[in-house]
Amino acid sequence: MSVKYTPVQWNRNKWIYDGVMLAGVAAFLWIFLYITPEVLSYEPAINPQIHNARAFGACAFVMLTIILCIGPAARLNRRFLPLLYNRRHFGVMTTFVAITHAGYILNWYFAFSSSNKYVGLLYANSSFGQIAGFPFELFGIFALICLLVLATTSHDFWLKFLTPPVWKRLHYLIYAAYFSVAAHISLGILQDQQNHVFTAMFLVGAAAVIVLHLAAWWSERGDAAARDGAWIKVARPEAFREGFAKITRLPNGDRVAVYLMEGQLSAISNACAHQNGPLGEGRVIDCLVTCPWHGFQYDVRSGRSPAPFTEMVPTYRLRLEDGVVEVHPDANPPGTYVDPLPLPEATPLPQGEPA
Amino acid sequence: MSDKPFFVGYLPVPGPLRIFLLSVCVVLIGGLAAAGYIMGVTQDDPGPGAFRFDYGRQTVTGVVEMTPYPVIHVTKGNDRIKPGDSFMMTAGGKSGVDSRAMPLNGQLAEVSGIILERGDLYMMQLRGGRNGLKAAEGDAPEIVAEPQGRWQLTGEICDGKCLAGAMRPGRGLAHKACANLCLLGDVPPIFVSSQPVLGEEFLLVTGPDGTRLPRAAYDYVAQFITAEGEITRRGDLLVWEIDTDTIKVTP
Amino acid sequence: MDAAQALVMAMQTWGIIGGLVAAVFLTIGMDRIDEDARGAYIFRPLLIPGVLLIWPIVLWRWWQIETEAAGWAGRYRAVRGWYGVSVIAMSIAIVAVVITGFAVRQTWPADAEPVQLSTGDSQ
Repeated sequence: MSVKYTPVQWNRNKWIYDGVMLAGVAAFLWIFLYITPEVLSYEPAINPQIHNARAFGACAFVMLTIILCIGPAARLNRRFLPLLYNRRHFGVMTTFVAITHAGYILNWYFAFSSSNKYVGLLYANSSFGQIAGFPFELFGIFALICLLVLATTSHDFWLKFLTPPVWKRLHYLIYAAYFSVAAHISLGILQDQQNHVFTAMFLVGAAAVIVLHLAAWWSERGDAAARDGAWIKVARPEAFREGFAKITRLPNGDRVAVYLMEGQLSAISNACAHQNGPLGEGRVIDCLVTCPWHGFQYDVRSGRSPAPFTEMVPTYRLRLEDGVVEVHPDANPPGTYVDPLPLPEATPLPQGEPA
Repeated sequence: MSDKPFFVGYLPVPGPLRIFLLSVCVVLIGGLAAAGYIMGVTQDDPGPGAFRFDYGRQTVTGVVEMTPYPVIHVTKGNDRIKPGDSFMMTAGGKSGVDSRAMPLNGQLAEVSGIILERGDLYMMQLRGGRNGLKAAEGDAPEIVAEPQGRWQLTGEICDGKCLAGAMRPGRGLAHKACANLCLLGDVPPIFVSSQPVLGEEFLLVTGPDGTRLPRAAYDYVAQFITAEGEITRRGDLLVWEIDTDTIKVTP
Repeated sequence: MDAAQALVMAMQTWGIIGGLVAAVFLTIGMDRIDEDARGAYIFRPLLIPGVLLIWPIVLWRWWQIETEAAGWAGRYRAVRGWYGVSVIAMSIAIVAVVITGFAVRQTWPADAEPVQLSTGDSQ
């Protein structure tokens, strides 16, 4: 929420979120870095630098896999929404872990040479024409650049400045990054490792990401198809529930959230001004529509956040025609007050049905 | 959907959701810890190569020979390195000692440094400058190259230093860029044969007619390949002159 | 090697230009285009890495806001439509690269024996 920008906005839930995330990451790294060399007890041991690089690389992969599972899991089951709430901190942490992995690699495999280590990284292996032996480091570099772009543009300023659609498009890079990580692993460590446990864990992680995303995509694919005509049908009045919304898709692809509050209907854009979260999947709390993602709130009649916040979303006009609620697809400029549409006092049940 | 608890980030978590989230936290932390353990303990053994700092600094005298990678044939050894042994040399880091060894080709020299050892293979990382390699007094015996014929071998081209223990693990495709960087820095390349050839598992690999490993071979470094070439015994080292046109990746 | 050096130099140049853009944008530009940023300074250093990386987008958006080139409606047009394409492309690509990786994976040819093709002079 706006007012004045601060470096990081904290609240109790974010502290708990970050605490749990850091505890998990610390446990992974501490066990990998300090416990497993003792267990392995190879003589002579794996180089500490290589061991560390593997620990941070594996950790970054696991973190990225978890992060990518959160989104579709929350779409499929709303109980996972709290994991989405502070996912940005998880992402930034992943970037730090990935940078550490890159640092160990760069300062070990590409150091001690007469050439600059960055130049060495790019030219030492130039077997671009083959799959086995391809410089898989490039996939890692690309993924790291994607993660860096995502992490460095995670502050709310960027959302407002770039606008949520541009920001979201930029952050779709995560899918390219995850593919790139999969390629980095497939053409790198998986070519060498004789023990296949890591291979199996990698496959399970990547499969989870793929299955969850495809399932989430499939589940919302059936949303209303585009319809023509000036006014768009939403639903019959009895279909609405106090404090909740029905979402309707307009012919141009935009979505409208039609809320019932205190017996009256109002329509606002379904896209939250913050991250374009689905406002229609939220609910009314204290007379304000509350976004399910980060809790941004709006007055459903004007699309304005309560003072001192300044966020606004577009509103829409509604009418009742032949017993059906309809919305006009032309949006009003954000923050435009629209008189709510009162529902008929008692909606009679259709004739012939038992009460 | 409507009666399910609704989470708002800045408000206390609704009661029924708490148990669910608590279990998610436990699964997350436990899962990450378990993943760290399993991924950590299933790493492969990097093999027996290592720097032998425990041997201390070794100083011996012998005849320098450019094969074209610099090799020394020991004439005056010590407790550990016997006269008649031959070994390769490198400088610190990813560089060879070619510029220092070239002027001493065919002459007697004293070398001093740390041993890298992997089974039968050993190599010396020389100290810097003249402390590591300097001309020695005396007549150098002539080193006779003994041709062993043309052979087809199967195995892997590695950089000798990482393989011998500078990096653990120091071979394989994940290490390929590092190996190439070493080879570009004049570290001697080694061929690891699938089975011993003339009693040796490790051969110094060069291009034909006393040239360096051709750049065309760099694409095959760290892959398992079959190739043909002449083998020559120099001292107690085997040198394989790989014919890059015959290189084939094994299935 | 030349290409690699050129790439590293290009990245350095990108970063230097980004640094200049960051200096101007964070001191002057921001106050002009975002009233929430006026008087808020502590968070600005946090934005420097982002500007370094995506300065062309920063300049484009700055110009759009200054000239009011973009309509208000664009902000509210959620891009969920891209989601299906993105995840299907990612899924196919991952499956393809993993299968390709396994297909080219080699095992150590322990059974391959050295073959002598001709004898040497000293044999």
